[in-house]
Amino acid sequence: MKKTFSIGGVHPNDSKISSGCRIEVLPVPGTVYVSMLQHLGAMANPVVAVGDKVKVGQVIGEPSGFISAFVHSPVSGTVKSIGPRKDLAGWNITHVEIEVEGDEWAEGIDLSDTLVTEIPQDTKAILDKIKLNGVVGLGGATFPAHVKLCPPPGKKAECLILNGAECEPYLTSDNRIMIERSKEIVVGAAIMKYVLGGCPAVIGIEENKPEAIAAMKAAVAELQANAKGYDGISVMVLKKKYPQGGEKQLIDAVMHRQVKSMGLPIDVGAVVQNVATSLAVYEAVQKNKPLITNTLTVTGDCLPMERQHNYLFRIGTPLSFIIDQMGGIPEAAVKVVSGGPMMGKAIVNLDATTVKGSSSLLFLTAAQTVRKEQGNCIRCGKCAEACPMGLEPFLLNKLAKNRMMDELEENAVHDCIECGCCLYTCPANIPLLDVIRIAKGDVIKIIRGRQAAARAAAEAAKAAEAAKAAEPAKVAEPAKK
Amino acid sequence: MTQTIIWTIAIITLLGVLLAVVLYLVAKKFKVEEDPRIEEVEKVLPGANCGGCGHAGCHAFATSCVGASSLDNNFCPVGGNETMKKVAAVLGMEVKEKAPMVAVVRCNGTCENRPRTNEYGGYASCRVKSALYCGDTGCLYGCLGCGDCVAACAFGAISMDPATGLPVVDEEKCTACGACVKACPKGVIELRNKGPRGMRVYVQCINKEKGGVARKACKVACIGCGKCAKVCAHDAITIANNLAYIDFTKCKLCRKCVAECPTGALVAVNFPVPKAKPAAPVAPAAAKVEKPAGAVSVKEAPAALASEKKTVETKEEQK
Repeated sequence: MKKTFSIGGVHPNDSKISSGCRIEVLPVPGTVYVSMLQHLGAMANPVVAVGDKVKVGQVIGEPSGFISAFVHSPVSGTVKSIGPRKDLAGWNITHVEIEVEGDEWAEGIDLSDTLVTEIPQDTKAILDKIKLNGVVGLGGATFPAHVKLCPPPGKKAECLILNGAECEPYLTSDNRIMIERSKEIVVGAAIMKYVLGGCPAVIGIEENKPEAIAAMKAAVAELQANAKGYDGISVMVLKKKYPQGGEKQLIDAVMHRQVKSMGLPIDVGAVVQNVATSLAVYEAVQKNKPLITNTLTVTGDCLPMERQHNYLFRIGTPLSFIIDQMGGIPEAAVKVVSGGPMMGKAIVNLDATTVKGSSSLLFLTAAQTVRKEQGNCIRCGKCAEACPMGLEPFLLNKLAKNRMMDELEENAVHDCIECGCCLYTCPANIPLLDVIRIAKGDVIKIIRGRQAAARAAAEAAKAAEAAKAAEPAKVAEPAKK
Repeated sequence: MTQTIIWTIAIITLLGVLLAVVLYLVAKKFKVEEDPRIEEVEKVLPGANCGGCGHAGCHAFATSCVGASSLDNNFCPVGGNETMKKVAAVLGMEVKEKAPMVAVVRCNGTCENRPRTNEYGGYASCRVKSALYCGDTGCLYGCLGCGDCVAACAFGAISMDPATGLPVVDEEKCTACGACVKACPKGVIELRNKGPRGMRVYVQCINKEKGGVARKACKVACIGCGKCAKVCAHDAITIANNLAYIDFTKCKLCRKCVAECPTGALVAVNFPVPKAKPAAPVAPAAAKVEKPAGAVSVKEAPAALASEKKTVETKEEQK
């Protein structure tokens, strides 16, 4: 019996049209714009100046906080400008503009195709390589990978889960890398497994990707037979259900453990990394190659089969360049989405550039995007049934509209993973997620504020105590005189 | 038969008397002592429970007034000075007069001035829209036009103008409670001094981007050129983040800045329309400054007032 997560979920048509398209290497554009915010957390600080010559793989941005990441130049050439540029949602983000000249790689990067299966036996060196090569989680949240691979003291990883679910409809890039680069992914998994103290690793793949399952199984078997350090890696076939690729849902499906509210996966002994991240870890550790390329799906119902693509792109490539390469925007398309149709974001600015986490360019037709007329809530409870976090979206929607913050917190609005199941399933087309997302942000702000206040109060109490302890000493001093 | 009726009446009467005594004693015993002045203060308040004063409602405001040592920190924006005088009379305190305020929309990004760059098909709420992306125009700062302020106004003072896509404040109805200011995710609305006979001068833009970028997104954007600040004799204008701001406490309504503004981002409203003859010398003077936008916006003011009245009707249609 194939496993899946226990509560909620929906079954959208998976529309994996481009799953059969081999990964093509996208040409390098004439100019790239490298965003300094390609990861969750603080924006990286650019460390190059206008006029500098850079090589492929050279560091151009340094992290500015604990949760931040290095940014590397994806091309060789001259830095033309550093300044604000609009990202795909239209916000100003610092970008480094590089005019491409040739393709000269920085020293120390192994560009050969040979598979390096031997795992370095040095945890610190591995983590340093992952950090210095700017590896971030490529499952969507772009959380810096090295942070996730260092469990906080007192907590131990019991299972590494590789996320190959790719539950979003249309997306096929993970599927393709699992087919074409399966061995590298398995080596990456073995490296992360070693860093986490040798816990077992499970590669979770949904049943709708039989080719990827076969390829990954073969790769695991081959590496286990021929090299050391690959024991305990297995492939688990999962039932097809959205949002299986959600971290908490995947842990539930694979380990039957539930992460508690506001908790982290490590609390239940799990570390989840995407298969693309695993590939990036392999390249960073074994080949010393920074994260400067990723795979992107170009798809949509309005594209004929020959125009569906899976591209290996250099980060910083403008979206307009990719669109030119694939032959322009199809006439029927009215909306271009970055990411899948469930959680992806509509692109308002096609001059925006690709970032580390770019996973797709999805073209949607008018019929697919138009919002149907909104009706009244009939309390059918479909949204509560579909919610994979066990929330009651209809209630949260009502509470959010009345701005009842205490009740929203009681009903765990901060647990929402924004998967969109409620919105997808609602027969009255109520924009549940839109409203809940705002409320979630507000409630999290309130909770953080309260935690900060509690911390400040505790510190103040400590300081007062210290002052009290110091006081008698002060009184005693003049007495001595 | 008669006996049954007599007994019934007697028992029920007795029961009634007994329970009345019990209720009386309980009421005496558990009586909640409340300052009688609270009720008196509440009587003179507008009773809209809008929360504009910062309290949960009129009762909470009255309690706060009674408990406070002075009325300096308590002000009912809806009732204004008159109500506060009454409150002061009830409590025997003194009250400082505050200049009446009004909500001002600091964006003139009409469909003509600020072309749309994309089409928003999502849920019609400014908060939702601003959480998703920058908006459907090139301007990252301006009005999103989904009407969160209209929904927030408890007095029906704001309505959306379908022609411009911008909210219009009815000065007569606006009580300066500040609900719209809180509701706007972009911070477009500001409470400003109402001014004598409603005359105000303000910058109708909050775009903090560099001049060229701002101008490209919107024809009437403030480009932060600083001409207005130079011409101001009262030190009322500051330029920060490529944006001019007029301090209404210092502004003397001389309107020199309005004539100087090259983009027409600076506007003067409710000033009397200059008569045809004296207007003639004004126009060429303004024309010397790149574009006569300043003069145009002065004339626009009464027209804006007229459109406010029109849009009250359209609001009901929207409902």
